[in-house]
Amino acid sequence: MRYSTALVILLLLTSPASAGDEQYVLGADSKRKDGTPVGEVTRHSHKSEIFPGTERDYWIYVPAQYDGSAPAAVMVFQDGKWYVNEKGQFRATVVFDNLIHSGEMPITIGIFINPGVVPAAKKGAKARRNRSFEYDTLSDQYVRFLVEELIPAVAKDYKLTRDPKMRAIAGISSGGICAFTAAWERPDYFHKVVSHVGSFTNIRGGHVYPSIIRKTERKDIRVFLQDGANDLDNLHGNWPLANNQMAAALKFSKYDFGFVFGEGGHNGRHGGAILPDTLRWLWRDWKPQSGKEEAGKGGKKP
Amino acid sequence: MNKTLVRNLLALQALSWIIGGSLPAQDMPLEEVLIEGQGWELVGEGYKFTEGPACDPSGRLYFTDPPGDTIYRLGEDGKPEVFAKDAGRPGGMMFGPGGRLYCTQGAKRRIVAYDAAGQIEVIASDVRSNDLVVTGRGGVYFTDPRAKRIWFVDPEGKKKVVDEGIERPNGIILWPDQGTLVVADTNTANLWTFRIENDGRLSHKQPYYTLRLTRSHAPKSGADGMTVDRDGRLYVATHAGVQVFDTQGRISGVIARPQTTFLSNLVFAGNGMQTLYATSSDKVFRRKTKVRGLLFTSPGKPPSKP
Repeated sequence: MRYSTALVILLLLTSPASAGDEQYVLGADSKRKDGTPVGEVTRHSHKSEIFPGTERDYWIYVPAQYDGSAPAAVMVFQDGKWYVNEKGQFRATVVFDNLIHSGEMPITIGIFINPGVVPAAKKGAKARRNRSFEYDTLSDQYVRFLVEELIPAVAKDYKLTRDPKMRAIAGISSGGICAFTAAWERPDYFHKVVSHVGSFTNIRGGHVYPSIIRKTERKDIRVFLQDGANDLDNLHGNWPLANNQMAAALKFSKYDFGFVFGEGGHNGRHGGAILPDTLRWLWRDWKPQSGKEEAGKGGKKP
Repeated sequence: MNKTLVRNLLALQALSWIIGGSLPAQDMPLEEVLIEGQGWELVGEGYKFTEGPACDPSGRLYFTDPPGDTIYRLGEDGKPEVFAKDAGRPGGMMFGPGGRLYCTQGAKRRIVAYDAAGQIEVIASDVRSNDLVVTGRGGVYFTDPRAKRIWFVDPEGKKKVVDEGIERPNGIILWPDQGTLVVADTNTANLWTFRIENDGRLSHKQPYYTLRLTRSHAPKSGADGMTVDRDGRLYVATHAGVQVFDTQGRISGVIARPQTTFLSNLVFAGNGMQTLYATSSDKVFRRKTKVRGLLFTSPGKPPSKP
């Protein structure tokens, strides 16, 4: 008995949720609601040419309201398995169901993509994990992979938008900087960005973005950043400082951006809890007739 | 508290790590490698140009002096002694299966292997080469910087070009489980990775590691010799210093060079392979670390952590 109690206390002490995370809980819009149509999620796999030899799984979410009569909006998620998981911290497909049903975001096809791996030919040898290379590198290689390979593969079966304003991209940690890089490199393709505890630190040079943003002609992108005071401080950098630098740079350069800085750590608790509001803010003017007066006013918090 | 409750709590905890936990960091900071207060110390000096550090199965260091035409090793007293003279301008070296010492011979345009008695077997002839790596099955990959080529000599002795086009391919090394090959490009910021196919061919070439450059040498990194430790960190000699990378290709940091002159190559050797040896111009240096190197002398998995 005493051993068991000690064990449980130890487990609670070593719980990965850091101080400050407990306050962030999922709300009604992240849970199933009676009468709300449920979209369909299918799992697929992809072998890439742009990242030679990489293999990965991805999921396609198709809302119940999609009937193929009109092009659907597109939202891409990095580390897809974390966002598509209905029992995870984000439950993005549940939030999509609720917000599409209420009309607060467009009929959107979600593409949830895992990072690639190059499996070894030799039995028992480690695969080359490509997540950091794909997500942390400041180049157009990842967005080319999306635009030239993966999204066209989805477009074979679904009618997808051609309007950059109807395309969004999101990610957590290195997936967050990846989402920003995709839109930064191709603002003509992705207009909307969501970064959760984004790694704007020096993993592969991403710490330079704030200064680059300040000294580059403004691009037509909308950026939402979430971070927390208990996020990482390690060899690559300090995440809270880096995200504050990003927000300050976006403000300085008059971007259409949102920044929520809480008390959480390096996980999706806070980002998941506010995902419904984040998506409302992101898609606030998706209907052509509404929201024009809001566009372009930077710094609005959801 | 009953057992079922404990079991359920354990399961819940495991679930929270999987679905709700912190993201895996797997960082490998330099503090996991370096010992506070331990710097570089001199092993030997007075050479024309040191290269080719290699560790034998007992942990003894060997190295070359190409312009001096000599292979050295550390004697019982820890001081360098001559292993082979008139060695055909020896360059890169590594111990392979059977405890044989494989060596490039620039002047003789050969790859050779020395057995314990010092007898030479020719592994490949009529080839230019700089550095090599020997697999546990007895295959040899070597770089030819001038022709921008990587060669493979299979265990039966047949040689073929397995890659072309890297600007100046130089250092060459395997990941600890020998499924991936890494080649350093002296003239750019890239270390290239390849998947090793079962017949020795290379596939899925990628600039997986990006090097730190120095202002005075950019765009050349000066990347030369490399080594790995048992945890999969990769160490490469460059103008900026010894650059260390983690298993996801992310730079962990840069260890200061032992001296400001050219740093050519690295290997773990010594007791437990915990000492990092560096060849640098006229000298050889070493420093103790918290990590362990490994030998590629058998095709199986590397030894597990002590």
